[in-house]
Amino acid sequence: MIAHLDIDAFYASVELQRHPEARGLPLVVAGSGPRAVVTTASYEARRYGIESAMPAARARMLCPQAIFLAPDFAAYRAKSREVWEIVRRRFAVVGQVGIDEAYLDLSDVERPLPALRAVVAEVHEKTGLVVSVGVGPSRLVAKTASAEFKPAAFVAMGREQASAHFAAHPARTLQGVGPKTAERLTGIGIRTIGELQVAPAELLAGRFGERQARLLRARAHFHDDSPVETERIAKSRSSEVTFPRDVSDRSELEATMIDLARELADGLRTRALRARTVAVKIRLDDWTTVTRARTLACFVDDAATIGGTALELLRAYAPARPVRLLGVRVAAFEDEHAPAPVEGQLALPV
Amino acid sequence: MLRVTLTADSLLADLQTAARIASSRSAVQALSGVLVSAAGDYLELQATDMEVSLRVRLSASVEEPGEVVLPARLLLDIVRSLPGASVTLAERSDHHDVEIASGNAVFAVRTLRRDDFPRLPEPPTGGVQLAAQAFVDTIARVARSASRDDTRPVLTGIMVHASGGELRMVATDSYRLSVKTTALDEAVSDSFEANVPARALQELSRIVAQSEADHVTIGRLENQVVFAVHGAGGPATISSRLIDGQFPSYQQLLPESVEHELRVDREELVSVTRRISLLAQKNAPLRLAFAEGQLQVSAQTPDIGEAHETLPVPFHGEAFEIGFNPEFFRDGLESVDSPEVLLRLTSPLRPGLIESADESGFVYLVMPIRLGT
Repeated sequence: MIAHLDIDAFYASVELQRHPEARGLPLVVAGSGPRAVVTTASYEARRYGIESAMPAARARMLCPQAIFLAPDFAAYRAKSREVWEIVRRRFAVVGQVGIDEAYLDLSDVERPLPALRAVVAEVHEKTGLVVSVGVGPSRLVAKTASAEFKPAAFVAMGREQASAHFAAHPARTLQGVGPKTAERLTGIGIRTIGELQVAPAELLAGRFGERQARLLRARAHFHDDSPVETERIAKSRSSEVTFPRDVSDRSELEATMIDLARELADGLRTRALRARTVAVKIRLDDWTTVTRARTLACFVDDAATIGGTALELLRAYAPARPVRLLGVRVAAFEDEHAPAPVEGQLALPV
Repeated sequence: MLRVTLTADSLLADLQTAARIASSRSAVQALSGVLVSAAGDYLELQATDMEVSLRVRLSASVEEPGEVVLPARLLLDIVRSLPGASVTLAERSDHHDVEIASGNAVFAVRTLRRDDFPRLPEPPTGGVQLAAQAFVDTIARVARSASRDDTRPVLTGIMVHASGGELRMVATDSYRLSVKTTALDEAVSDSFEANVPARALQELSRIVAQSEADHVTIGRLENQVVFAVHGAGGPATISSRLIDGQFPSYQQLLPESVEHELRVDREELVSVTRRISLLAQKNAPLRLAFAEGQLQVSAQTPDIGEAHETLPVPFHGEAFEIGFNPEFFRDGLESVDSPEVLLRLTSPLRPGLIESADESGFVYLVMPIRLGT
């Protein structure tokens, strides 16, 4: 599960904090040159049709009474750091994609929605900023959802739900469909996401080529498997599976564990990571959830060692009830350098 | 013109090790490759980054002998994804490539320059022979203390010492020091001492685990050490440059006597440490406050919170508090494999010792963090 967090009208909100007298009035942050564009506009200003990236001159025409401020990026960066620092303290994987938005990988968070509500509340309390949250099985669903329901959005959607909900939206709503693509789609009579969903494959392929046609269709159905990219190395990686029905058969559990380990090892290799701690997660039919971990003598990235260790841990635990979920995780990556010497750390005279 | 067929699984297992050893950032392209040679009834893989090298043999059906250098990473990825149980490698010199075929899948991969790939040392004849399991178990107990800081190369190694019926390994990153002495069932024929890069020993551990070999043979050639194992799959050798420079003389670093010696249940102390360490973030130390009959473990991180937990310990005397890097402290406890540990301490600024209480020959020294008030 993935969450997309987006700070509502970020620059404008920061400016409103610094200029409380502008509260409730249309506020536009824009440069002052002749070619300047609108960096952001408060929700009040957006009611006049002012949008980000619109020429500032046009914004002045649409709403001459709006308050225009020059952007102060140093202030925005400082505020942005405050926000993401709070988020990072609560979530391990934060892929920040801009000054005001980030993705979280929630696969390892036990109760993600309460955790997200708590972080939104903390950000609001400490910084006065409002964060919109979209949650979904992919980045695409998460981001589309948060964008659709902001400001102050808090919405979780499944893939099918998203496909149905956004069917009437313009194709441009989809991330990855830019103005050019949208124009070409219009050229073959496709305006909405719903129309793209049912567009004949040959028609799309004829206009965009096999590959991009397939991508477009997948996007229209909200299929997206891009992982959350972190600018920092994730602290752990895991793969897990919830069985369609609870499983007691040991050989089936073990075979699943081997598959999970292989999947995980492949992921490690593509990222050139090696880990030293292998852990398993087992959830029984009564929701008892246990984890067992072992730290190895050396760093590993191969399915045989990870799977073998995971199997030993599974066998040692010997689930007494049918198993609902099985997972394997690795942590303690090689690239994490030895912790930097701490202030006051004494050293041997070597 | 190399042409050879073997099982994909056995090739995969050894290629994984080879690909890890092959250099990932050398200017010489051939060093990112694996040298594949076929002769007799075996295939040999060689990889090196000029510091640590691997040679491993696996049985294969050789139609024509030959040798080629192939990009290690790519070859690994290909072999991992092969559809069939067996794989055939066939060199095509007119194309400067090797055809890799399995099931209905065929890959043709360009070879790298053979001339750029260095000659690796031959496996030693003779040398010191040691029980493989004892050797890798000993590595596992000390490897965490080896430094990962390349600016102090001498500390990135593990000092290996074998003589008589005893094997000893020592590693230190200057903040902690691990010493493990293992009694050998059979005395070694000749004594051996060298500072071996921790990386080489960790790769050796993996090879031993994979091969289920009984023995490791250690040989020396000038500034090189060569470890040979003879496992189920075939013989494998890891050779490594030895680390120059004087390894610290660890005996002088271990305190001869201490003020307090406490026997503590290991499992309990490990879980307390893990729990309380959750609140030792941002480089905050783990605090151990000893008082009559008890130990309070605590941690606090500014702006985050604090945690403490008390457990009974047989402490007598004047109360004191000592701070440690939580990770270092836990590493020490986790490296002990007896049910009880001995905590040996003197005062807040003197080294702490964590030892196995069953006299299994493990000592972990950890330097304290000077606590503020």
